[in-house]
Amino acid sequence: MTPDVFLFWFLALTTVLAALGVIISANPIYSVLSLVMTMVGVAAIFVTLGAYFLAGVQLIVYAGAVLVLFVMVLMLFDLKHEIHAFTRGPVTGAIKIAAVGLLGGMIVGAIALSANSLMKTENNGIQTVIEGDSTKALGKLLFSQYLFGFEALGVLLLVVAVGAVALARAKGGTHAQH
Amino acid sequence: MLSTDLFTQIGLGHYLVLSALLFCCGMAGVLLRRNAIVLLMSIELMLNAVNVSFVAFSRYLGQQEGQIMVFFVMTIAAAEAAVGLALAVSIFKRFREVNIRYFEHLKG
Repeated sequence: MTPDVFLFWFLALTTVLAALGVIISANPIYSVLSLVMTMVGVAAIFVTLGAYFLAGVQLIVYAGAVLVLFVMVLMLFDLKHEIHAFTRGPVTGAIKIAAVGLLGGMIVGAIALSANSLMKTENNGIQTVIEGDSTKALGKLLFSQYLFGFEALGVLLLVVAVGAVALARAKGGTHAQH
Repeated sequence: MLSTDLFTQIGLGHYLVLSALLFCCGMAGVLLRRNAIVLLMSIELMLNAVNVSFVAFSRYLGQQEGQIMVFFVMTIAAAEAAVGLALAVSIFKRFREVNIRYFEHLKG
């Protein structure tokens, strides 16, 4: 077993277990901590796939900024105990779990069925597999071909920042407490 | 032969299955949990699963565009988390709880 293979299985197991921890733990604080673990695992998977810049962005944006936001809001609410953490009723819960299982089975089945064509494209593209650091090429592409999307995202972030502050400060609209 | 290959030869399919599992975890969270903030976290989980498959395709097909898409998805996810948390804050200010059933009173 080569180190690459071991690394993949280790990261896959860690990430999936942490993802299960997000949805299973009844305390939202533990959910956030599991989500941090998942994000770090996904960043490590990006490293194994050769996307070093994206791994760094993942760590900074998700594990750094977004999850700190989640933790801050949770601490603000002081939601240590939850009465109805999960959906009510064993029947609806079973139906929902069955639906998720069905979806997962369908996706995995589709991947297994298309394994042949996937292998073919893999072998065709074997010369073009990106080796080493792709950050430079990524930056060139982002600032030439996808420049409009990049700028639009900048505007979107500004709008969202203003909108989030406005929403959080709103007095409640029709539900204003008199 | 096939079974040992499955465990020792890591290919595109492995990453896609991992991505599918992560996505299903996120979807189960959205369906089963009642806390709006845990719901948002599950949505982040689903977005990350999609990112994994984007990067895997980008790597194995030798195209950079997949990584650009991941870049955009990350930005949108951060924006969505900010707006969602602001909504949760305004719900909490009104009802002292962020259970998803209070979101049916959302208007104005």
